[in-house]
Amino acid sequence: MSLASRELPSVAATMAPPRSPADTPAGAISGPSWLNNLRAMLAKELLLEWRNLSRLGSVALFGAVTLVLFSFVAPPQAGARRMATAGFLVLALLLSSTLSLSESFRKETHHRALTGLLLVPVAPSAIFIAKAFANFFQLVLLAPVLIPVALVLFSVDLTATSGVSYPLLQLLAVWALASAGLAAPGTLYAAMTSDLRGRDVVLPLLFFPLVVPVLLAAVKATALVLSGDAMGQLGSWNLLLLIFAVVHGTLGTVLFGYAVEES
Amino acid sequence: MEPKLESSAVAIRGRGLGRRFGRRWALAHVDLEVARGEAVLIAGSNGSGKSTLLQLVAGLYQPTHGSVEVLGRPSHEQRRTVRRSLSLLAHDSYLYASLNARETVKLWAGLVGRPRSDAELAALLEEVDLADPSLGAVAGFSAGMRKRLSLLRVRLEEPQIVLLDEPFSALDSAGRLMVESWIRELRAAGRTLLIASHSIERSARLCDRGVVLDQGQIIWRGPASALAKRKMEPR
Repeated sequence: MSLASRELPSVAATMAPPRSPADTPAGAISGPSWLNNLRAMLAKELLLEWRNLSRLGSVALFGAVTLVLFSFVAPPQAGARRMATAGFLVLALLLSSTLSLSESFRKETHHRALTGLLLVPVAPSAIFIAKAFANFFQLVLLAPVLIPVALVLFSVDLTATSGVSYPLLQLLAVWALASAGLAAPGTLYAAMTSDLRGRDVVLPLLFFPLVVPVLLAAVKATALVLSGDAMGQLGSWNLLLLIFAVVHGTLGTVLFGYAVEES
Repeated sequence: MEPKLESSAVAIRGRGLGRRFGRRWALAHVDLEVARGEAVLIAGSNGSGKSTLLQLVAGLYQPTHGSVEVLGRPSHEQRRTVRRSLSLLAHDSYLYASLNARETVKLWAGLVGRPRSDAELAALLEEVDLADPSLGAVAGFSAGMRKRLSLLRVRLEEPQIVLLDEPFSALDSAGRLMVESWIRELRAAGRTLLIASHSIERSARLCDRGVVLDQGQIIWRGPASALAKRKMEPR
């Protein structure tokens, strides 16, 4: 049946009463709730991530290649090698995150889909939280690839670690906290640079100095897991990572609207 | 000058509206009032400021000078509230390339708070000839298919005010008839329309008034029927 011959259903019959601010008390915001926005945004992010799983594979491969390159300059002594492993592992996460973050907004700028969301209007805070969660999830998914690759390449035996119970779980916890610390500010900065011509260069320039505390805390915490935590310092470094993630997550939630809308 | 309307009767009011991009004024000193339920056609050559005007009304840009109000509210300062009452069909489709048509419509329906059943989604997609699952993701759609899907988004939003930027472009003759029929339905339902179009004759039949923009300024205003007869002077 052609479009021309098809009668459209009457607008009056199919449409609910039109949305209008004039129908609501002054200042009141009607329409879908914030939670409804967040739910829809999370579902959209997960669906898009599922569609682009190959991209995640590419990022993981990039991280693994980075570790291989680092292995050529790793010190030969076992003790020094363990310390270096922590740094190399966190650097691999950081470098992979810039690829992942930059790419996460490419699909929003193509056809200006993000503008479409703002026009609905979807709450910018809901867009940010869903996007930051998706970025965090992607970085966490790198752990099953990059951690074993690092342990094998740098010949680190986790069972030989002293003063740390369940070292693999502790390592995963540090990884997750570091991922949150990178995803929260990274999502905001990726949004701010998404419309720029040189965004792939500008994003790391802005992002790297900001996440130095994450880098330091994650390297220290990872080193403690790999080399032993005789003084019980691991919890403090993990707490620092958590605080950084929460502060930047809150800032991102508040500031995202300003980053993506013309003020 | 057009006669002043009572505030309660005004859907869109722009006063001394101007917008500059770099050194170029895309729009300058535009005064425009659109009454509730009225349909106004904006004509003009490429780069005359039609799209900028619609995006200013939607609150996507802040005016460099002047102001624009939608239903009595400043469109940029209160953009979230204002956007609940309007929908913009723009040159960009605002679609996700990785999603297919059904997923896209389901997403929009969820976002506007009116989730649809699978049968309802299928019926909506059937209306715009995009129900075939084998069409795949939006990335593989032609410009016309993306336009039809974007039109469905505007319909789902069920706004009081509809801003249409080149609604007939990229569509085949059947698609253009569909849009024409849809605009007539919107008019019958009392919606306010602001249509920017190069299809003057077709659009003028659907509108009450017309304005012509040239280099960002209104150079003519009058009944839409007169606009259709007016010879469009090149810049």
